[in-house]
Amino acid sequence: MRSLQIYFLIILIQNTLNLTAQNCTYEVEGNIYDLNTRMPIPYVTVQIEGTQNGNVADDSGFFKINNICQSEFNLSISHVGYHKTVHHHDIYHESPKIYLASDEFVLESVVIEGQKPTGDLTSTTSTLIKAEDLEVVQSGSFGDVAGSIAGISTISTGQNIVKPVLHGLHSNRILIINNGIRHEFQNWGVEHAPEIDPSLADNLEVIKGAATVRYGADALGGVILINPPKIELSEHLHGEIKLAGNSNGRSGESTIKLQKGFNRFGLLAEASLLKQGDLRAPDYNLSNTGKNELSFATGANYHLSNIDIELYYSHFSQELGILRGSVVGDLNDLDGAISNEPPQNTRSFSYRIKTPRQEVDHDLVKLKGAYLKENQSFNFQYGYQVNRRMEFDIRRGSNNDAPSISLQLISHSLDLDWNHPQINNLNGIIGIQTLYQDNNNLPGTNTISFIPNFNNSRFGIFIIESMERGMNTFEAGIRYDYQYSSVRGRDTDNSIFRNELDFQNITATLGLNHEFSSNATFRTNFGSAWRPPSVVDLYRLGKNEFINETGLLRFEYDENHNINTKLVSTIEKSTPNEFGLKWVNSFEKYNDRYNLDITVYSNYVFNYIYSRPAGITNTVRGPFPFFVFEQTDALLWGVDLNLFWKHSGVISSLVRGSYLWSKDVSNNDFFVGQPPSNLQYELSFKPKLEFFDETKISVSLYYSFKQYQAPKRIVSLGQILEAQSKGEDLFSEDTSNFDFLKEPEGYFLTNISFRSTIRKFTLLLQAKNMLNVDYRSYTNRLRYFADETGRNIGLSFIYRI
Amino acid sequence: MKLVEILVFHLFTAFESLIRTPVQIEKLILIISFILSLYVSCNDDDVPPAENEEEIITDVILSFDALGGVTTITARAVDPDGEGPESIQILDDIVLEPNKTYHLKIALENSVAGESITDEVAAEAAEHLIFLAWTDGLFSDPDGNGNIDNRADPINYLDQDSDGLPLGLETLWTTGEIGAGNFRVVLKHQPGIKSSSSTVTQGETDVDLIWDLRVE
Repeated sequence: MRSLQIYFLIILIQNTLNLTAQNCTYEVEGNIYDLNTRMPIPYVTVQIEGTQNGNVADDSGFFKINNICQSEFNLSISHVGYHKTVHHHDIYHESPKIYLASDEFVLESVVIEGQKPTGDLTSTTSTLIKAEDLEVVQSGSFGDVAGSIAGISTISTGQNIVKPVLHGLHSNRILIINNGIRHEFQNWGVEHAPEIDPSLADNLEVIKGAATVRYGADALGGVILINPPKIELSEHLHGEIKLAGNSNGRSGESTIKLQKGFNRFGLLAEASLLKQGDLRAPDYNLSNTGKNELSFATGANYHLSNIDIELYYSHFSQELGILRGSVVGDLNDLDGAISNEPPQNTRSFSYRIKTPRQEVDHDLVKLKGAYLKENQSFNFQYGYQVNRRMEFDIRRGSNNDAPSISLQLISHSLDLDWNHPQINNLNGIIGIQTLYQDNNNLPGTNTISFIPNFNNSRFGIFIIESMERGMNTFEAGIRYDYQYSSVRGRDTDNSIFRNELDFQNITATLGLNHEFSSNATFRTNFGSAWRPPSVVDLYRLGKNEFINETGLLRFEYDENHNINTKLVSTIEKSTPNEFGLKWVNSFEKYNDRYNLDITVYSNYVFNYIYSRPAGITNTVRGPFPFFVFEQTDALLWGVDLNLFWKHSGVISSLVRGSYLWSKDVSNNDFFVGQPPSNLQYELSFKPKLEFFDETKISVSLYYSFKQYQAPKRIVSLGQILEAQSKGEDLFSEDTSNFDFLKEPEGYFLTNISFRSTIRKFTLLLQAKNMLNVDYRSYTNRLRYFADETGRNIGLSFIYRI
Repeated sequence: MKLVEILVFHLFTAFESLIRTPVQIEKLILIISFILSLYVSCNDDDVPPAENEEEIITDVILSFDALGGVTTITARAVDPDGEGPESIQILDDIVLEPNKTYHLKIALENSVAGESITDEVAAEAAEHLIFLAWTDGLFSDPDGNGNIDNRADPINYLDQDSDGLPLGLETLWTTGEIGAGNFRVVLKHQPGIKSSSSTVTQGETDVDLIWDLRVE
């Protein structure tokens, strides 16, 4: 105890000495770039505020100021033709990269300290959508926004439930990191979208490699990071108010964002409200596709020389409707629904949301701390998430008001990491990540839940090291994960089953970042990733409209290789982890004329869990095909391309495309629902218009190819019913993948946008599906029932405070 | 505020010294294992609430009561696992006598929860309709082959909903001469759609079963 007191005393004295001793030996250096072109700006003046001390950057935009007396200070950066900016800096933070915004734009200048705000892996390919581009797509759902990145597509259930697909993998196979915390939700199946409002985000970054070593299990396809605005110090009160409306769905949205930075203290508050009515396909209403959404977030950070503390809270709630005409009772109904247009129950426009519908809530509390020393930092992050989900189906009587799924998932996570100082050219990070989860069924569903109650405890430890050798940066990392799950569920006869499951794995990554020159980079990364089977993979049971699925631990084969479904407690089976090996290569070259980015990847996933047809079951409603969960090996490879070409100061082009090849290699079969290839061309004009400060007009042409890798086996409902009447089972002999309907043809969409800024006002006018094309998307589960949405005119109005 | 600053500062300093000093690696491991044990020990043991499976129809029972007689012919279809992969069993054939009038009552049961779905359907008569079809000639009244192929074809419904539209839990039948064929029962849920002309292709199917029927 005594020694502890002395220790405190010494620290206190040290502190006092630090503050009083005016030894002017501190220094700062950094680089200055143009925010728009990302090229260095030479000869910029940088000054320590309140002193005469300062310097001018050299011709490569590099500056250095010596003999600074304080350990923290405000840097004032000014240059002709650019917004002046002030950056609060201290000696513990890394050299700042300052991006100055040109006077022509309303955008604020940006300062980035250190390499990158999020990525700890330098050899992994990543793509970032900046705030300005985000503005254009922000009205969409999180999935839609992410889908605007090359390599990401979407899988959806109607227009309101959209999930991102990264290089052919989705749901439990990609990770979503919301504000630094793994977004923990009911991430199974196609019908549960992440509860995140992109309109509150500042940027969105996609890591295309298997970043499991850094972020933990499930990142087989990659990681999507979505970040709120950074809370800055020493900033005047600023923010924006946005009002947006859309003709399709007659929706209205308002968003407000405010920020203020004091000397040691910064504050952020944001809120967004959205109401949407029934959407419309070109020829008819999509009844019951309304949506209500409310989200807000607030955060504060506190800065004390070498300590940063951040507290953040966000809330998201959403109620959404699902196309009424997509509800069918049996195969005959499905047959009718497929051939009928418009779908059944199509009514006139309404804002009312009836069953089938979903109500979801998500709360996040984050406490983050960083202790910065010269060349090293300790980081601590605690996250608390509560996710509630209720799903209402069309049911009889009073059950129509009772949810058929009602789940609450509580997650605590604690991450500790240490960016260690350079040791023999090695830079690196060592970290521990823990998670505790509690999932509970809430009473009152009047149906036996197939999702059991469970508790997950997860522990992971990792180390990633990198070494620079001339133009090359080598990178290597290794990680160990352990997960313990305790599961309690109800069997079909309401009896209780319990299970305890252990999972563990070692993953590794190896990469190289080679710079040909300051504006051409080649990255290659080879990484492994894993995912334990989820409770849904293990215990799923029952009918989902017209499909009947049975989880890994719900069935067994008998001696004659017939499928036997028994009570869970009687089944013993090994269910190995999914394990993936992903190799990603990318080449990036940019200058003031063009910006080229090509990514080539391949991903081999062992023990890939999927549902395959296993037979026909007759129920009181007639025959249904039933599917069982099996494990196989999958191979996916593909190419993403992004090319921006500036033809002149006024005209520019953007070409973006992605190609994916995927196959079940064990069974030599194609998977159902993989995203088809697509290609997009956008032509933009930036004319100098009288009265407007800045104007951009874009015409975008988007083509989605037909999915040539859809299963070739099409089993129509007529065939199933006919076989049924002859007493044949089409699926017990031939268990290859099939679809009820042939894959839809490719489609071509035209979008136009006009964006203009007058001082603090920005006007954004957009027309989507301008030609009102009727089409169906292969990756929309409701493609059997209705067309996609028709023309939409959107108008947004942004005022910057 | 100053106190908080000092506290936080020392927390981090302590953490740093812990990591920096090699001797105290054991302590770090101790802390990690403590956190881990905390995580494992807070596992609860709650089980999902027992829910009554109210919706699924597992048993469909047809009872043909001969008018002016005591004979009741019962034909059952039973699916013990409901929506599960095990197929429904049609337990009995319908065997009727020729030229006789029968009062058919259809009962729907959920044997798992021990509930009668018949009452629920009756309570929501305005949203439900039972369609029937049979091999032409088995019955003299109604004649024809039922209203599945054509809604307008005759069925002797004995019950109706609040709008005066038929429901079909109770119907009247007169058999024809000796013959054999099948008998199909389809229960549709037609909320907001049911009308005097709504057909079997509208709404959602709750029951669709076929029995063998013999008149002998």
